[in-house]
Amino acid sequence: MAITIILPKYFSATSAGNAVRVCKKILDAEEDITLDASNLVYADPLGITLLGAALHDAFSWNLRVRISGLGEDVGGYLQRMDVFHGVDFVKCEPVKKRRRNRGDSLVELTRVDEVSDVDETAHRLAVAIVGRFPGIDPDEPPDEMSGYTVFDRLVEPIQYSLCELLENALTHARRGSHGSAFVWVAGQYYRSSKIVRLGVTDNGCGFLASLKGHPELRRKRHLDAILTALKPRVSCNRDLGIHDDSVNQGVGLTTVMRIAKHTGGRAVILSGNALHDTDGRSGSTPAGSIWQGVAVALEFRRDQLARTNFRELLPLVEGIPRIPLRFE
Amino acid sequence: MRTQLPLTSYAKGHLAGTRAAAAPLRLRAEEILSSGGDVVLNFRGVEATQSFIDELIGYLILSQGPSVLERIVFRHCSENLRAIIEYVAADRCDQYLKRPTHH
Repeated sequence: MAITIILPKYFSATSAGNAVRVCKKILDAEEDITLDASNLVYADPLGITLLGAALHDAFSWNLRVRISGLGEDVGGYLQRMDVFHGVDFVKCEPVKKRRRNRGDSLVELTRVDEVSDVDETAHRLAVAIVGRFPGIDPDEPPDEMSGYTVFDRLVEPIQYSLCELLENALTHARRGSHGSAFVWVAGQYYRSSKIVRLGVTDNGCGFLASLKGHPELRRKRHLDAILTALKPRVSCNRDLGIHDDSVNQGVGLTTVMRIAKHTGGRAVILSGNALHDTDGRSGSTPAGSIWQGVAVALEFRRDQLARTNFRELLPLVEGIPRIPLRFE
Repeated sequence: MRTQLPLTSYAKGHLAGTRAAAAPLRLRAEEILSSGGDVVLNFRGVEATQSFIDELIGYLILSQGPSVLERIVFRHCSENLRAIIEYVAADRCDQYLKRPTHH
């Protein structure tokens, strides 16, 4: 026996609630799954990471997953993004587009298991994305004053954002009974709109569990937990612990959201049954659709990436005396 | 005595990113500080995330107090990096000084 799950027309940040609803069906499945992709026309990196995480869960229960009705264009794209690894194709023949060489193809769905892999993954992914920008030469001579190339300046905010999100996901998400949580990441540069989109999804404890007991979280609801996590200087472990292990400043996620906004882009955050969009669309996901973990979609406008100015992005430190520092 | 610690080996490309990558550098800095020396963090060719800088110096401020900054030199910092270091230092010094137990 198999259950059939119909994929929506759009599997993306703009219809994240629908994507989560379908993923919840995959996660709840107790028998083999047939994904009906007849309606599917578009998926973005957030949708790809959500689907990748949900399929990983199904495979971990030894369920067989088939997909039917996949159109040639979206099928070829999703296959190149490595979304359907282990999935059987039925009544669909995705075109096997020629794979690019590995160094240029790491926008594909990638699962990150260990914090020690984060720096390397973030760098490779950022370089792969910027490497697709037309007219940018990674080998041009660096600026004499700064020592950096334009390529370096474009890579930095993407790599910065990925580092913060991936390390957060692999530390905060693994609290409680979620020690084996993973994180999935995918990205793409859209040439026509000159926009970079990233998706980072984990299947960990989610913001509500992570911030449980935090005095800033006044209502124990997923949306309140997302909004609380976005407040500067709010973290579940801002002070040194009993064992003096690592601490958090509660600024990383906030800064990443501000980088996206600063470039003229936006961010969408999903956790539990709540969704927050920096464009102002916040609220609950459709009834019954819950994401166990955190999923983040980021959008950057290419033209603004190299102008990232951290003095404008970091939270204000009003009322705090300036600390004399020894710069040379 | 001043001991210089180059950051390049802690970066991927030009960015030093994760707390996990900063922790070994912080341990090395702690060794130098505990032996009475000053630390020179040489950022030539390296940018860093706020998390990396916080793991490096925010942790030291919380564990040893703001005076530890008198023994740390930040060399060859870009404008962005300088803004991040100033933010982390101000925020963690404020947090340390507001602790009920720091006296």
